Amino acid sequence: MSIRSSGATLWANLYAIYCRELQQYFGAPLAYGVAGIFWLLGGFFFFTVLLAPGGLIGAIAAQDQAGGGGPPIDAAYEFLKLYLGLLGSLSMFILPVLSMGLYAEERKQGTLELLATSPVTNWVVALGKLLAILSLYIAIVLPLMLLEAIALSASDPPIQPGVLLLGHLGLVLMAASILSLGMFISSLTSSTVLAAIMTFALMLLLWVMDVIAQGIGGGFGEALGHLSLLRHFGDLTEGIFDAGGLVMFLSYIGLGIFLTAQSIEALRFQRS
Amino acid sequence: MIEADQLSKTYGDVTAIRDVTFAVAPGEIMGFLGPNGAGKTTTMRILAGFLPASQGTARVADCDVHRDLMAVRQRIGYLPELPPLYPEMTVEGFLHFVARIKGLPAGDRSERVTWTIGRCGLADKRSVLIRKLSKGYRQRVGIAQAIVHNPPVIILDEPTVGLDPRQNQAVRELVKSLAGDHTIILSTHILPEVSMTCDRVTIINGGQVVASGSLDALSHYGTTELSYEVEVAGAAQLAQAQLYQVAGVHRIDVMLDSQPQGDEVRSRLKVQAQPGADPGSAIATRLVGAGMNLYELRRGQTSLEDVFINLTTTEVAEDVAEIEGAETPAAEQSADETFADKAVREPIDEAGESVAADAPVASPSTPAAPAPTAPAPTDSSDPEVQ
Repeated sequence: MSIRSSGATLWANLYAIYCRELQQYFGAPLAYGVAGIFWLLGGFFFFTVLLAPGGLIGAIAAQDQAGGGGPPIDAAYEFLKLYLGLLGSLSMFILPVLSMGLYAEERKQGTLELLATSPVTNWVVALGKLLAILSLYIAIVLPLMLLEAIALSASDPPIQPGVLLLGHLGLVLMAASILSLGMFISSLTSSTVLAAIMTFALMLLLWVMDVIAQGIGGGFGEALGHLSLLRHFGDLTEGIFDAGGLVMFLSYIGLGIFLTAQSIEALRFQRS
Repeated sequence: MIEADQLSKTYGDVTAIRDVTFAVAPGEIMGFLGPNGAGKTTTMRILAGFLPASQGTARVADCDVHRDLMAVRQRIGYLPELPPLYPEMTVEGFLHFVARIKGLPAGDRSERVTWTIGRCGLADKRSVLIRKLSKGYRQRVGIAQAIVHNPPVIILDEPTVGLDPRQNQAVRELVKSLAGDHTIILSTHILPEVSMTCDRVTIINGGQVVASGSLDALSHYGTTELSYEVEVAGAAQLAQAQLYQVAGVHRIDVMLDSQPQGDEVRSRLKVQAQPGADPGSAIATRLVGAGMNLYELRRGQTSLEDVFINLTTTEVAEDVAEIEGAETPAAEQSADETFADKAVREPIDEAGESVAADAPVASPSTPAAPAPTAPAPTDSSDPEVQ
């Protein structure tokens, strides 16, 4: 029996898991259904933010007609902030759906036993799955970026590349955090519906943590506020880079992978 | 190649298996028999590196299942009871994926997948989605994923469950053809399957191994008094007179008397030997010496089914006792005596202390134990009854 050298094993396994997961998503109707709904609502929000009565263009036109009183509106910046904020809110509904089957399906199909009896570590499987589902999310979001590009290309003065980059980085980091925690929840149950509901509940909690923190107030409230996804996501969409926010997102992602690996390991000690 | 040494697995207060010990030599196929809930799957999962044992250890392909877990996983092919298949993948795509995560180098992968597809009779299904396959073909894909990386050890948990007789035969032949190059553990409920496929058998009941040995040796299990069937020319009375003079003969039953066959008559008798005696050659010498034409002399054998039922029927008795409640004798047993204790003890009592030279040997954990037994990986003739 000839076996690969151990140095190459890790990356080869990661790549194998990544490819298999992607193949599964693109071979199943769920991803297309989710993408379709996301594009429809994303397009609607685009129209609302930019073109609908009371939208950004209407507001600028109204200001011009009023003689240009008040502070000038940076249309590109405002558009990006509003649109990414709406995409973030919209993502709250699709991310639990994307993450719900990551492990729940494996448990249902019995394929977890295949992975657990293969020379692949639990965290490599978890990381491969997370990268694959994140790739799917990015693939779903990308077409809407085309709409964004069209709108932003007409802006004068053009938007700063740093703001553009940070905004989208925020969207990806926020999605990766939720997907990672959703993956952990998915590893706890073989019910995909339950996994989706629990992920949504957890995400909602993290999303509104800022509001809760403000309600509590004091040092504890302040500390709690740092856990808020909304606050850190908001900072990035406004073009504000905060190292603390970046660490918080990466911590959520790492925590999700770690807990997933531990959860799968714990299955070995449970009676089935 | 596979050595399980005093393996135990507990979940809280529940003992799934206890002190499971057996060995399988390289190239052998070992049948793993036992009623539902006996601990077969738990044992196989421990050997496959899926479950950790609570006590004891096991070595698979020279690697310890606890210390060298990843090495064990690389060296085994495992088919769980529910074949682990991704329904949305094609057969070929799935086998490529398994070959990758099992660590086969990219250069060998295509050749190996093609070989496996051919070997498992999946050539005309290689591009078909697994969800579109029949149960029989899915089972074949399950076996294919277990052998695609050419592991030295293959563990198959009920590979023929739910298959029709033709599919059964195909899977059986496939498994048999893998022997020699691979060491195989096969669990099943179908006893003829074991007889046709396996070299050795280990029977587990109530979480403990109750017998382990070659098929031939197990066929003599429980036969403390040997019996023989004799076919001779002439009347049964004449043969009886001669046979009663043979030392060690206990009883003679006439099965057929003076049946015409050609131009002579023949009789058929069943000779029961005294406990511990083996008068086979003396019977032949006596009859031939008396000038009687001896056409057949055959020692009676216990079927594997008899052995299995004998060793596992206590499970039924235990179930009945549980239903009847606390007034039953079973309920009056000592609190620390587990079901497994009783399940193991009773068959041994029935077997008695005296066993034939090639019959199973009782283990130290049983009342009838004459000598301790250790795993005997290369001894295929001497079974252990525990």
